[in-house]
Amino acid sequence: MKLQKITSLPPHPDRIWSIAVHPTLPLIATASSDRTSRISSLLTYRALSTIDGGHKRSIRSVAWKPAIKGESVLATGSFDATAGIWRRFEDDLGSSTGGEYADDEEEEWRFAVVLDGHENEVKCVAWSAGGNFLATCSRDKTVWVWEEMEEDNFETIAVLQDHTQDVKCVTWHPEEELLASSSYDDTVRLYREDVDDWVCCALLEGHTSTVWCIDFEKPGSPHYVESRSSRLASCSDDLSIRIWTRVSRSGDASTVKAVPSILRGAPVEEEWVHEATLPKVHTRAVYSVSWSARSGRIVSCGGDGKVAVYEEVAGESEPGPESEPCESESEPCESEQAKPRSEWKVVAELEGAHDVFEVNGVAWSKRWDKGRKSDGEEIIASCGDDGVVSMWELVD
Amino acid sequence: METQNANPTILSISDLPSRLQQKKTAPSALLTGLTPAYVRDPFATGTESASDDESEDDSVVDRIDEQEIYDLIATISDPEHPLTLGELAVINLPHIQITDEPSALTSRVLVELTPTVNHCSLATVIGLGVRVRLEQALPPRFRLDVRIREGTHSTGDQVNKQLNDKERVASALENETLMGVVRKMLETCK
Repeated sequence: MKLQKITSLPPHPDRIWSIAVHPTLPLIATASSDRTSRISSLLTYRALSTIDGGHKRSIRSVAWKPAIKGESVLATGSFDATAGIWRRFEDDLGSSTGGEYADDEEEEWRFAVVLDGHENEVKCVAWSAGGNFLATCSRDKTVWVWEEMEEDNFETIAVLQDHTQDVKCVTWHPEEELLASSSYDDTVRLYREDVDDWVCCALLEGHTSTVWCIDFEKPGSPHYVESRSSRLASCSDDLSIRIWTRVSRSGDASTVKAVPSILRGAPVEEEWVHEATLPKVHTRAVYSVSWSARSGRIVSCGGDGKVAVYEEVAGESEPGPESEPCESESEPCESEQAKPRSEWKVVAELEGAHDVFEVNGVAWSKRWDKGRKSDGEEIIASCGDDGVVSMWELVD
Repeated sequence: METQNANPTILSISDLPSRLQQKKTAPSALLTGLTPAYVRDPFATGTESASDDESEDDSVVDRIDEQEIYDLIATISDPEHPLTLGELAVINLPHIQITDEPSALTSRVLVELTPTVNHCSLATVIGLGVRVRLEQALPPRFRLDVRIREGTHSTGDQVNKQLNDKERVASALENETLMGVVRKMLETCK
């Protein structure tokens, strides 16, 4: 397969650090060093509006609040040490026209709240699946969890200080209230709420340099295994991308009840193991990784200017006593479940995706434009130091 | 501020390798091209024109070699001595390496710094100055790795990690105090 460019969006005058695809509407937002965020349509690939004036320094990260109707809410994280919450009403047409505004007037984005507290650069912002929690992380080595008590009233419910260095990325589990963070200290940490407190419940060690980005596997995607329920991909300055799997968890309300315990409950703990390393493609730091909800594929990008797509295939089963070789390549074999012997392979690799520039972010999106051939079709968005967002399709 | 190294070894300017002298009358394409800032130039005052970008780009121009990189950065001033990084032998020609990436789309420039004393707390600032200078001067196809030469600094690994963390460098470039220092260091660049 190969990556074929569909189009590029009009460039920002400066580097784009990251992009975020709206969970339900055909919208994509950018985070740029020019201190703005631009919202563009994924139907027409036209710029719709620009959010500016809220931050004094580079915007590093953007995130769409999920699970809300009638309104779009965007969180921005900036080097100016703050996070911003922006709101815009989506008219009723919003859903049918997919966010394409009725006229050429830019719809008003309202800068609703400034979240203060971090000592210095905010590196990433992320909403929990239900939209009630927002996580932020910073060079000040902390991860903050904010809860929206009522509209525009955010309260800090946790300041997690487990990392020993700059925290680069935060992301939430797609279903559970499980938070993950990755850091300049080469580790990934996971957090859950324990009675009243948020605590670190797992430490993932193995990378040998900064872990730039992490992303969870999405439920329902191919290869997703219910019983395992969680996998995480991490990419690093050490040029590798690792897959981690949860093998056990304790202290959970649902599991603890059955077990009599001396104290009020078993400690909140999860055990994660390093399951696989993706084939090495990148020759410089891997900055971003995204796990598709539709195909289960993973896309990565980095300082070498490459974009690469990986697919998990049921590997040649070890010469075992039982199983027949799996006939279907597209469907995971049931028998593989007990002994997952899948293998990751590179299905597409593109050099110079943003000409000679570094590629900072990648994200999967449902395909919305006129070229769409089927419902489940997906595309990849990438952003780079050239200030450009490009859209890609995978073709045979 | 306490001086880190009161008596550094100083090389004579005339002994330093340079191509700048010969080129004074006929500046190379690269040197005349220094004015348009390429990427994220914090000092940029004007706007860059697209045509400049193209004519400067890549293979059209003479191959940039180690000597040209040396000439770009050896003239940077030390933050605490009235001397250049070349004179203090912080920058040395044999410690600059250019390698083309296999794809040939990009090239890697590796600059190894030798701090004057192995506990020099200014190593990070010096490294940042070198990065800024090269990011300004070189076309975007160059990937920069600025490192402390192995065994010459007590916390070399930490300094290296910071200097090559894109996000930290970008953030430092937005820090006015730090950029004031760097700007001063670059004043002596030709």
